[in-house]
Amino acid sequence: MNYRNPIIQAGILVVISFFIGIVCNAASANSIPLLAKKIEQASELDLSSQDPVLLTISLEQAKSFFEEDILFLDARDEAYYEQGHIKGAMKNIFLMELIFNIESIQSKSDPLVVYCGDPGCGDSEDLAYDLQDSGFNKLYVFKGGWLEWSAAGYPSEIKN
Amino acid sequence: MNFFKGPVVLICRLILGAVFIYASLDKIMNPDDFAKAIGNYHVLPLGLENLLALVLPWIEMLTGLCLIIGVMVDGATILIILMNIVFIFAISQALARGISIECGCFSVSSEGGDNIGLQTILRDIGYLLLAYVVYYRQERKFEFFPKSN
Repeated sequence: MNYRNPIIQAGILVVISFFIGIVCNAASANSIPLLAKKIEQASELDLSSQDPVLLTISLEQAKSFFEEDILFLDARDEAYYEQGHIKGAMKNIFLMELIFNIESIQSKSDPLVVYCGDPGCGDSEDLAYDLQDSGFNKLYVFKGGWLEWSAAGYPSEIKN
Repeated sequence: MNFFKGPVVLICRLILGAVFIYASLDKIMNPDDFAKAIGNYHVLPLGLENLLALVLPWIEMLTGLCLIIGVMVDGATILIILMNIVFIFAISQALARGISIECGCFSVSSEGGDNIGLQTILRDIGYLLLAYVVYYRQERKFEFFPKSN
């Protein structure tokens, strides 16, 4: 092999990195799956089931949850929340305090909808995973978030 | 003054090497946070952000080490040029789509990271210039493998 060829050198470095990365992950205490799992889209909303749930929901499904008085969580920073949020949504604060606030209203097995700014933001999923780790087991991520909700003109609280 | 000879090349190598090693550390320690940071860019399909989060930090670490100790400098420099082009592309498309996300460049924890912006693109262009000097260097001092000419 011609070790002077830059492309071959680059290839060697990539292959070594690949193996070190995979092996270290396998040996690590906080290892991650090789492929990230996406949250699945909910097909039908069955609130009576007791099975743990972590699903994404559409705008219309979010609206129907809203009409059933399901608790909404705004995963964005406080400044965005203050400017405008879904009516009655809970503000995202320090996780422990947030969990305490939720549990003062409902139990961990009651449904929760988490949303953030727009379909591109990841904060809603991050918060949903944090809540799942904390024992909440009926979690719905509204991917459309504030962007779709406010565009649809659904009930909101907006700062004047 | 010829930038492609003498101490300038060595300084460029050392700076790039140190930057890439430093950039790799937090990512190697926190692959899950880095995977999320990559996921936020919305450029990779099929959940590949996890695989990239496991491999990319080690490429950064190894290329950085290679530049500093003078091993396979050409290959390491090509990888650094490639990585910076990819970074610039990823940041630009995120900015163009108007999504405000954390850079995931050096610190990947949710508190400590800086956000993407024009300054992160300019920084990457700066690294490209350093890599350009190293790649087109005219002398190979302090390089051990492959053996210098």
